[in-house]
Amino acid sequence: MSIERPAARVALSLASVLASAPAWAHTGSVAGGFLGGFAHPVFGIDHVVAMVAVGLWGAFLGAPAIWLLPIVFPLVMACGGVLGILGVPIPAVETGIATSAVVLGLMVALAARPPLWVAAVLVGAFAIFHGHAHGAELPAGADAVAYSAGFVIATGVLHLAGIAFGTLAAWPAGRLAVRTAGGAIALAGVAFLALR
Amino acid sequence: MSLLRAAVVAALALTATPALAHDLVPGVSGLTGGLLHPLLVPAHLMALAALGLFLGQQPRRTSAGLLAVFTASLIIGVIAIVSAVSPVYQGDVVLAVAAIAGLLVALARPITALLSLSLIAIAGIVLMLDSVPHEMSMQTTFLALVGTVIAASIMITLVAEAGRALTRDWQRIGVRIVGSWIAASAILVLALRLAR
Repeated sequence: MSIERPAARVALSLASVLASAPAWAHTGSVAGGFLGGFAHPVFGIDHVVAMVAVGLWGAFLGAPAIWLLPIVFPLVMACGGVLGILGVPIPAVETGIATSAVVLGLMVALAARPPLWVAAVLVGAFAIFHGHAHGAELPAGADAVAYSAGFVIATGVLHLAGIAFGTLAAWPAGRLAVRTAGGAIALAGVAFLALR
Repeated sequence: MSLLRAAVVAALALTATPALAHDLVPGVSGLTGGLLHPLLVPAHLMALAALGLFLGQQPRRTSAGLLAVFTASLIIGVIAIVSAVSPVYQGDVVLAVAAIAGLLVALARPITALLSLSLIAIAGIVLMLDSVPHEMSMQTTFLALVGTVIAASIMITLVAEAGRALTRDWQRIGVRIVGSWIAASAILVLALRLAR
């Protein structure tokens, strides 16, 4: 059959597209997905303390670490998440997460100031473990976008909370408070390790 | 019955099947549905936000040119839909665009004009191809597509201008952090979709 009239061609083309490929298939609850993702790191105390420690350490190290670490962490965490989603095994993920709290907490408690690249590599390495754990638990379905956005933002908010608290280090009393918080985080990490 | 009438009847008959699906907002379709679509689909929202922030980091003249290319590519997307192009992986490409644009925002480094142009042009086309509504008539479908073109163009312009207005150091860092969040979220969901 030859179709000569342009309008008819358009109508048939449109019909075939709409009938064959339901591309507007964004289903699921966006709000529920976002809130579920946001709650995921917030209700995992081992994630919380490590994220806060990243922010504390960034604030302690000052610029450019204060902004580099919160940028590096989610990106590397996503790489770890991809490994988790693809089922690539990483040994001792939970131990790695607990160790991140110990090491990052100690860095803050000891007021360690290594070169920036060392700090970035250290934080990035631990981000792999956190990302792997998150990635393995990402839900299937259309609201996965909202879920992942929720937990990435929650992670970032925890970093920012750490940075906000870490800015107290500008004052002597605040510096003591920040280092004490670092010590508490390290101790919490030791407890996580002991409970494994 | 003329060929055109036959085509329209065929179009209506064929498009009756997707009525089993739903609108993003029940009862909202046509132009309003199209206007709301970029705001209500998380992947599109992320991609547009990242692209807008990316444009906001470019010189004003470059940004204006890229905005024009973006709107033109949206219209090309509409033409592709009407021409019965039936893509399969447009949702994945939208996420890839969000990831790349988010990474570029986080890196905040100059890139070649060809890369910027390619990213923006691909983004506009795939955003439209991923915005095909389940409509019962050609008229409301077309209105929805027009609404999406308008909303996407306005949104990316507003985000670009908002990003450009953030001139303080900490504000620019905040933009880069948001870029890293978008990239991380998009990478994770892309991996999830590819894995399953």
